[in-house]
Amino acid sequence: MVYDRRPIAEIIRRESMKSLVLAKQVPNTDSPFRINADGTWVDEGNLTYGLNDYDRYGLEAVLKLKDAGKVSEVVALTVGPDRASAVLRTCLATGADRAIHIKDDALAGADPLSVAKVIAAAIKDESFSLIVAGLQADDDNYAQTGPLLARLLDRPCATAVMGLELLDGAVRVERELENNRLQVVELQLPAVLTVQTGINEPRYASLKGIMAAKKKEVRAVALSDLGLDAAQVGGAASRMKTVRLEVPPKGEGADIVKGGPEEIAAELVKRIREKTGVI
Amino acid sequence: MACKALIVAEQESGAVREITYELLGMAHKVAEQAGWKAASDVKAVLPGEGVEKMAAEIAGRGAAEVICAEGAALKDYTGDGHARALEEIIRAESPSLVLFGHTPNGWDVAPVVAAGLDVPLATECSGISFDGGRALFTRKVFNGKFVQVVDLGGAPPLMATVMRGAAQPAATGGKGAVRKVQPKVDAQALRARFIEIKKGEAGGVDLSQAEIIVSGGRGVGGAEKFSVIRDLAEALGGQVGASRPVTDMGWLPHEHQIGSSGVTVNPKLYVACGISGAIQHIVGMRGAGYIIAINKDADAPIFGVADVGVVGDLFEIVPALTKAIQEARGQG
Ligand SMILES: Cc1cc2nc3c(=O)[nH]c(=O)nc-3n(C[C@H](O)[C@H](O)[C@H](O)COP(=O)(O)OP(=O)(O)OC[C@H]3O[C@@H](n4cnc5c(N)ncnc54)[C@H](O)[C@@H]3O)c2cc1C
Ligand SMILES: Nc1ncnc2c1ncn2[C@@H]1O[C@H](COP(=O)(O)O)[C@@H](O)[C@H]1O
Repeated sequence: MVYDRRPIAEIIRRESMKSLVLAKQVPNTDSPFRINADGTWVDEGNLTYGLNDYDRYGLEAVLKLKDAGKVSEVVALTVGPDRASAVLRTCLATGADRAIHIKDDALAGADPLSVAKVIAAAIKDESFSLIVAGLQADDDNYAQTGPLLARLLDRPCATAVMGLELLDGAVRVERELENNRLQVVELQLPAVLTVQTGINEPRYASLKGIMAAKKKEVRAVALSDLGLDAAQVGGAASRMKTVRLEVPPKGEGADIVKGGPEEIAAELVKRIREKTGVI
Repeated sequence: MACKALIVAEQESGAVREITYELLGMAHKVAEQAGWKAASDVKAVLPGEGVEKMAAEIAGRGAAEVICAEGAALKDYTGDGHARALEEIIRAESPSLVLFGHTPNGWDVAPVVAAGLDVPLATECSGISFDGGRALFTRKVFNGKFVQVVDLGGAPPLMATVMRGAAQPAATGGKGAVRKVQPKVDAQALRARFIEIKKGEAGGVDLSQAEIIVSGGRGVGGAEKFSVIRDLAEALGGQVGASRPVTDMGWLPHEHQIGSSGVTVNPKLYVACGISGAIQHIVGMRGAGYIIAINKDADAPIFGVADVGVVGDLFEIVPALTKAIQEARGQG
């Protein structure tokens, strides 16, 4: 019989170090984008989707902590329509233990504050020590869901994290600043972090992971399960609304050179000569 | 005491950050459209400790009043400390509009304050306009592929973070007042502790002085495929640059990254291959003398800053260009 000689307090803390990773499904950046009929978002018809790039790095950050025995459970959560379950499967196949899928037709068009309120309600009975989101989503580029959630839960938050280390009851992070500088700050746990891309090297799901994911729990949650009313957090009730989407002004724009590769190359050489003098 | 527009000033180690003056410039533009009196309606708040001198500088740049939010808990930036102070001050001032910079500290604190006040927030705005009294915020989505115009619902305070360069910095010559307040933020109660600001890792190459740069983006598709970019750079006698995903994924070391979180470059010639042209990349290379963009997507934002563009597969165009240059230089 092997005795666990760690102090009891430590065992309890370790075993309850649950972490939540937010995972958003976004259109792949190389999808064919077109503005939709009412001019308020993109036409979703032709898009292909995947896990938001920043969230891949967020998932890896918590999986690493779990590998190191510092986190006991990794839970992935998404808010989105049926198709968004694909990103939860990705997270589970990559190593998350279970998943929560908040879906409700009333959430279409919900603003980030509403989404954060819904997430806060869904996790209020779970005590996550660490919540990790992406710095921003590649579709809306809002860069606010993580810190909004932190305030709603009354927890400290750090954004654009490029390094993290779990300490006793705290997390020490490096926040990316401008001009190749980093701010080192310590947050008391429980805390919320948003990660910047490049913080780690995200792993891919293994075949074994994909098989194992099939047995993992995905809990589907609707607004009514959370005791929330669409009149408060639904898309129709959101105060921030997209009035319209536009194609950015092109300005002068580039002079487009056409032809076969050799013709184009010859034309570019000519211009480089004339305009820059470097050849 | 109420004001119309409140801008959140930024300082670091004794210096006012330039974004502060851009925010004042933006607030003046808004005041003009909204019919507010910029001379009395635009204020700034500056959190910190011992910041009165900087506050006086800001008061000379278009703020009717600069509120120094002073306290030991506010000396160095922490999201926890600064959010509490700002929430308290915004409640006291009840402004119609609050502007933050879309900077590392601005995007860190603004959502926390917005959630505390239970109001929506428009982030990374490039413009604010009025449509019959309704404020509209312009920002980019899909990394610059589209521009989104949002309405925040009208109830004050309207809150936004403003991107760098969105407005001209406010002019000097103003004579605003400085007022000191001590927000009730207890340093002992903070759950965030500032440790230090440090330099990131430095690498072996310095692209900031390069005269010719050939950059590859995610469109190159892998570390092993970067040889096409390297070959062109070599034929031109230039250096290899990259967008962020390339260095994030380890295809090239970090020091090759060009943009807001990498190096800023000013070469005579910049060739962007398989780079979409997100603003964070563009700010690092738009000072180049001549920009060539090669991208298979005719709508990629990079064509908006390039002098000359090729819509096509970089794996067809770049090798052909390398060959043509070698021939032109008599190396082929
Ligand atoms: C706080 C912050 C800081 C950032 N700092 C930086 C920074 O310093 N530098 C930076 O670059 N980014 C930075 N970013 C990231 C930035 O927002 C973009 O995500 C990034 O610049 C996109 O890189 P990319 O253009 O290579 O990739 P993508 O946007 O994915 O574009 C790839 C492009 O390749 C094209 N393509 C694909 N295949 C081919 C082919 N065969 N031939 C031709 N074209 C092809 C596609 O059409 C597409 O336009 C930052 C983001 C944040 C939030
Ligand atoms: N609908 C969502 N479901 C799950 N996570 C989300 C959702 N929206 C935002 N997030 C998280 O918040 C981060 C920032 O998103 P945003 O504030 O929309 O830019 C994302 O990278 C996700 O981690």
